[in-house]
Amino acid sequence: MQVTMKFVRTKNEDPDQRDSFVVDVDPETSVFEAMSKVREEQDGSLAFRGTCNTGFCGDCTCQANGKRVVPCLVKVKDSVKEDAIEIKLIRNVAPVKDVLYDVDQFMWKKYKYFRPWLETNGTAPAVKDEDLEPVRLAMRCTVCGLCDEGCTVIDVDKEFLGPMALTKGLYRTTKDPRDQDTKQRFIEAGEKKGLWDCVHCWEASEHCPWGINPTHLIMDLRDDSIALGVKSGKGNPMAARHYNAFADSVKKSGWLNERMLASKTYGLPPYGLSLSGMMSQMPIALKAIRKGKASLRPHKSRPGARQIAKIFAKVEQSHKNKKA
Amino acid sequence: MVKVAFYPGCVAKGSCPELYTSSIKVCEKLGIELAELEDVGCTGAGVLSSEISDPINARTLAKAEQMGVPLMTICSTCTGVIALANVRLQDPEYRDKINREFLAEDGLEYKGTTEVKHLLWVLVEDVGLDVLTAASTQPLEGVKISPFYGCYLRRPDEAIKDGNRKSYIEKVTQAIGGTNVDISGKGKCCGFPSLTINEENALAMTAKHTSEARDKGADAMVVPCPLCHLELDGQQSRAEAQEKQDIDMPILHLSQLVGMALGFTPSEMEVQRHFVSTKNVEEKVKSLAVTAS
Ligand code: SF4
Repeated sequence: MQVTMKFVRTKNEDPDQRDSFVVDVDPETSVFEAMSKVREEQDGSLAFRGTCNTGFCGDCTCQANGKRVVPCLVKVKDSVKEDAIEIKLIRNVAPVKDVLYDVDQFMWKKYKYFRPWLETNGTAPAVKDEDLEPVRLAMRCTVCGLCDEGCTVIDVDKEFLGPMALTKGLYRTTKDPRDQDTKQRFIEAGEKKGLWDCVHCWEASEHCPWGINPTHLIMDLRDDSIALGVKSGKGNPMAARHYNAFADSVKKSGWLNERMLASKTYGLPPYGLSLSGMMSQMPIALKAIRKGKASLRPHKSRPGARQIAKIFAKVEQSHKNKKA
Repeated sequence: MVKVAFYPGCVAKGSCPELYTSSIKVCEKLGIELAELEDVGCTGAGVLSSEISDPINARTLAKAEQMGVPLMTICSTCTGVIALANVRLQDPEYRDKINREFLAEDGLEYKGTTEVKHLLWVLVEDVGLDVLTAASTQPLEGVKISPFYGCYLRRPDEAIKDGNRKSYIEKVTQAIGGTNVDISGKGKCCGFPSLTINEENALAMTAKHTSEARDKGADAMVVPCPLCHLELDGQQSRAEAQEKQDIDMPILHLSQLVGMALGFTPSEMEVQRHFVSTKNVEEKVKSLAVTAS
């Protein structure tokens, strides 16, 4: 079939550049092959990445007719609309030329932050096959970037380390029984822009073409970090204060004491005297009281509070045993 | 008449009291019988480790199971977190472990049969859109509403179960006579989970969604989650300051919007408790009431 391949060519300064090309392709071939055919036969200056055409290298990620895809995994017949396919850059990236973007800035630097290798001190124990199951899951990540592309946080903060790096960097290493630096890894991951900046919106799980479910893995990582007593990095104390205040409140009363949560997290009286906390929170608190949103009555415990406290006690004991 | 085990959640009983009151009134009017669960804990809201929140949620699910009715929440975050726990608790081995280690000593057992539903789902699936339309004595004609789902009523799929549920707010607003204003960020995070972790990000998200709704001409946004409300309403003025723009977008709870169509006045729905003035919506609703009478 004849398909018009249209390219949104970013940062291309050639005044004579073409952006629309008609190619003759089998409808069963991949969109990536159609893109390559244009480059090979009509315009060698067209810039995009990709080599394997099997989904393995994870390099060719782009938008095809408005869908964010790994184009070698999509057939021409499934993408084409009115005999055309428009190829353009994914979101959240810095363009280099045409459909090329800065991978270093988008993913590699973030991946490297997590020291994506095992720290074994040369004494790695033999590992049971089933213990490697989670590791294998993360190893299937091809670094296609679709999870970071659709990430709600990266959308507003390009420096957030993001689901790809958390999956292939942090999950891959901390779940490996041979790694001996897990706690330190969680401390590093707990700094600003890291593990606790994820808003668990579940977008990443929805976008991964391999069903790796990065958001699920991030939530699992948080559980692992908490079990080791790490609720944030040293430079990010508010994240830990928030977790501890939340947990304390539910442990004591069965449910959330919002006043205590805010006061402990922001360091307000009677738990602290943080000036910046007071400056940022006092106007909101006063307004909430005026509007009848914040109650001044004491926070009452739920009828089941004692049973809930027992649940906390048991889990905390099991964490202690694990650490010992 | 549909009966549910009502799980209002912490925020509806805390800093969004208007959500609790308006939900009770709406349910009463629509014949949703609420048996409120008192002896239950916080879902964990995606903050607590699931090692702690799964047993707490199993306990809640077991209490609803004893009543033999679905568990209904009025908070998307509660729905999502407890529904995800429920998915994990469908694994018999895991459920047995939780029952044995945490529930048995209090004579409880969760058998895995409780269905978790948000009020939004109950409105569409149990009350029915036709009934809702018929009960709307004051259809919200000309009121432009921008639905904002946030995360947990859109994802993950295993908790949502039925893909149709991802467009229920639009169906409800239509059924009560309103006009939908679509925004690109309607299924995105409101920012709340980041408020104490990375405030700048949280406020940027808030500004993005609320300003998009304003630019597209919405009179108000409607949210099914009190955490989205605390963020989009409560933090809107700070988001305006950070992003240096005026937004002024009223945020309504789903129950308040439905309630006004059912004939309750805005003040009966306690919109006066909001941070962002809802005056424009109130005036529109009042003028509708005049035309209706
Ligand atoms: S986790 Fe999935 S979506 Fe994210 S980079 Fe890896 S393969 Fe792509």
